[in-house]
Amino acid sequence: MGQGKSQFSEEELQDYEDLTYFTKKEVLYAHQKFKALAPEKVGHNKNAKLPMAKILQYPELRVNPFRDRICKVFSSSNDGDCTFEDFLDMMSVFSETAPKAVKAEHAFRIFDFDGDDMIGVSDLREVIKRLCGPEHKLSDSEIQQLVQNVLEEADLDDDGALSFAEFEHIIDKSSDFCHSFRIRL
Amino acid sequence: MEDQVEEIELKPVTVRRTFTLRNNVARQVAVNFMPSRQIPYGTLRLRRSNSDSEALLAGGADSERQADIIVREMEQLQRLMEDNPVSEELRREALRDLPQGLTMKRTVRAKLSASVSLRSKHRPISFYKRLKYRISFAMKKGRDRISELIFSIEPWHEAIRHVEGQFGSAVGSYFHFLRWLFAINLLLAMLLVCFVVVPQVLHDQENNNKTGSMGFLDFVSGKGGFEDSVLFYGHYHWGDVSALGPLTYNMPFAYFFTMFSLYFFFFAILCYRTAYSYRRNFIEIAGGLSNVFATKVFCGWDFGIVSQHAASLNASSIYNEFKELLSEQNKKHVTMSLCRRVCQYMVNVAVTLCVLALVAALQYGLWQLLALDTQLQHWEIFVSLIITFVIALCPLLFNLIVRVEYYKARTALYVTLARTGLLDISTLTLLLVYWSQSGTPCWESAVGRETYRLVLLDSLVSLFLLPLVEFARGFIFKMSSSSSSTGPEFNLSYNSLTLVYNQGVVWVGAAWCPLLPAALALKFLLLFYVKRECALRACQPARKVWRAAQTQTVLYMLVTLSLFVTLFAIGSLFLRGSSEWCGPFMKYSAVWGVVSEGVLRLPDRPVLHALLAFLTRPGVIAFLFLSLCVATYLMRARARAQRSMVGILRRMLVLQAKDKDFLLAAIDKVSNGEWLYNPREEDQSADSHTLKYLQEVRKPSNAAYHFDVTRLNHSEPRPHRAETRPHRPHSHHVATRRTSEDGDTDSSFSWQGSATCLNNTNDDKLE
Repeated sequence: MGQGKSQFSEEELQDYEDLTYFTKKEVLYAHQKFKALAPEKVGHNKNAKLPMAKILQYPELRVNPFRDRICKVFSSSNDGDCTFEDFLDMMSVFSETAPKAVKAEHAFRIFDFDGDDMIGVSDLREVIKRLCGPEHKLSDSEIQQLVQNVLEEADLDDDGALSFAEFEHIIDKSSDFCHSFRIRL
Repeated sequence: MEDQVEEIELKPVTVRRTFTLRNNVARQVAVNFMPSRQIPYGTLRLRRSNSDSEALLAGGADSERQADIIVREMEQLQRLMEDNPVSEELRREALRDLPQGLTMKRTVRAKLSASVSLRSKHRPISFYKRLKYRISFAMKKGRDRISELIFSIEPWHEAIRHVEGQFGSAVGSYFHFLRWLFAINLLLAMLLVCFVVVPQVLHDQENNNKTGSMGFLDFVSGKGGFEDSVLFYGHYHWGDVSALGPLTYNMPFAYFFTMFSLYFFFFAILCYRTAYSYRRNFIEIAGGLSNVFATKVFCGWDFGIVSQHAASLNASSIYNEFKELLSEQNKKHVTMSLCRRVCQYMVNVAVTLCVLALVAALQYGLWQLLALDTQLQHWEIFVSLIITFVIALCPLLFNLIVRVEYYKARTALYVTLARTGLLDISTLTLLLVYWSQSGTPCWESAVGRETYRLVLLDSLVSLFLLPLVEFARGFIFKMSSSSSSTGPEFNLSYNSLTLVYNQGVVWVGAAWCPLLPAALALKFLLLFYVKRECALRACQPARKVWRAAQTQTVLYMLVTLSLFVTLFAIGSLFLRGSSEWCGPFMKYSAVWGVVSEGVLRLPDRPVLHALLAFLTRPGVIAFLFLSLCVATYLMRARARAQRSMVGILRRMLVLQAKDKDFLLAAIDKVSNGEWLYNPREEDQSADSHTLKYLQEVRKPSNAAYHFDVTRLNHSEPRPHRAETRPHRPHSHHVATRRTSEDGDTDSSFSWQGSATCLNNTNDDKLE
């Protein structure tokens, strides 16, 4: 951690501590992990912007079916490339200390593929397809039935899509969300 | 509309709703402009407010504007904008919870602090307030320090993360549980060593006690030279201990109060933790269990998974679960006959009775075994070995038994957990009761020895035998990996139950064997590494997703329950009496005497004595108990009322959404020039309000109405009218058929072209 310390001033660390759910030590630890993705680049510039392909080398993201969405949601330039601050933001949201509401907010954005602020039928289909992985394919009618069921359970105002409030309602009532929507630093 | 209705008819029932007009994009835009969608969220998470989300969608170019919006919303909250540390802390939290990137947060913070300093009135603050702020500031600093410290000393962080990455968060949670128990035992052991063991050791050094034989079997049984050592209660001195100069240390006081405070401290921690976990995993999600599909879709993926293998397994398990759910849904719901249900119920009850009988028989056998008068040396090792094996094997047996019964998978798991918990707790209680009744001199030490043996022998099972079995299983699997595809999995429930059992033994034993927590901490330390190796080398990731959160709560409950039972038993023993032959409380008639005679000096203070005697009378206790019951009942009633209120609100939400939809559709139609209401045919017979309204008030003879209609009629292109006419009966037919099928209130409104409606209702008058 000594190396990391030289790259940050005390004020910067305090700043990060104030704005994320991490302590200073954890910020430094996160930076180490970030540096491991591209040592020479980050060595020169601690807040270097890494292309999405590099960020996806991070072990948890590598196998995640929503990896590109995660990068896009957290990327400050909206194209999936992440600076260290974006990365820190991502880890902070996925950390154990982040409250459910914040996690739900970001989960909603991750699942909202077309970015229309609603999880519609096409989004749900995409989520289900990605969840089942490349090896298994559900038939179209099965996916349709699943989507229908999800909407029946969650779509309270009956408009054929999940708004954020409805999504949050589902998340609130699920005990496993906090367990599963978590990446340990 | 006509075409759409046609299309709907062709689709299967389930697909229909996506094709209704409700999905219309323009409609959605209109909905987004409604006042309810414009109000920012109750918390500070403002993304949902319309303008803001637009700004967000626009991206980085608009970030200035976006920040302004957020700041403006935040400024509305008085609490946040005061110039004192409390609201500063609140501001910090609010900023943290913003779902935006760091740059945005920073901008918002700069703007906010500028705005705050602009608003603040520079008044000198009072000394008291300054002190308060200073204290709160120091507390915050301290909290941050502590969390930093915890992060840097947190053991096994990477190890658990590694396991979690390979096996998913469920197995990870076992290791977290193990680590938590390890930490608790370590803390317990340290405090006990500091306050009880070390003074006694110092005392022993002065007096140079003799020691007996210390062979291996003595070590296992805790007899011989170990019998009279710091390991057990009997050895502890009954009076003052003086080791360092003139200062003395009252051993009975130390022993009693250390035990007392530790037990209650850990009981409080456990209660808090269990209640917290229960609230989060059972109460807060009440009513959410019906969202099977939605939770599977949104919470299905375990984001902590690292390895490719585990990821593909997770994907296939999700796939299988989807398949299962769908097939379950498609299966015709066979209404189970009452007879069959009663039969199943009877089987469940019968098996449960059998299990209870088995547990009772085991306890009886154990009692007989303990009471057996043999001259065999080290007979007690044999007895402890039997107990250990019974406790190790019974969960497996219960696991088999529960398959005979008719439970759902989750209930079956809970039933097995409950039965095993019952067995563990009853065995431990039996041991306690047996020894306290036995009349052996210094029975407390005997209980201590018993628990000591149990912990020791169980480590033989859980550190050597079980891993051996698991490795053998894994080895066999690897040799024949091509034949069968299901590898051995990490048996979560069994392993967790072993932990619970061990902790239960320590709760019973710690009072009479102060070094037991230290032994258990050591054992858990070893167990962690052994289990990790087992999991990584000999186990495969699970094929079924194990929902860990609720099971974890049940495990915490079991630990808490075992401590509660122990506290109850020990408390009643402490009130009753104490050994006259050994231990720190030799000089007191009962252990409780340390407080009543030693500290409070009750015999000298008759008033206090009378007061205490009054407070502990059955009447008073019963009164307290009753008021507790009443309070619980009240809470429960309130919770129920709130739950039903939630139901009502939910229904209202749906109704309002439908109203909104209806109105929007109406606006839509009016703006298109088609606006008449066409009641359902059934309604014409019924005395519905709407129909009356239409017939009485809005009579076609009504001039304005008439005028309006004709005006509209003229504005309509003629061919359209001609075209719609022949279709009319058919469409009407379709509409009614549709309503009768799904019973949706929404679909009872069928909107026709104005010309058609006019033709329908007042054909003659118009022509």
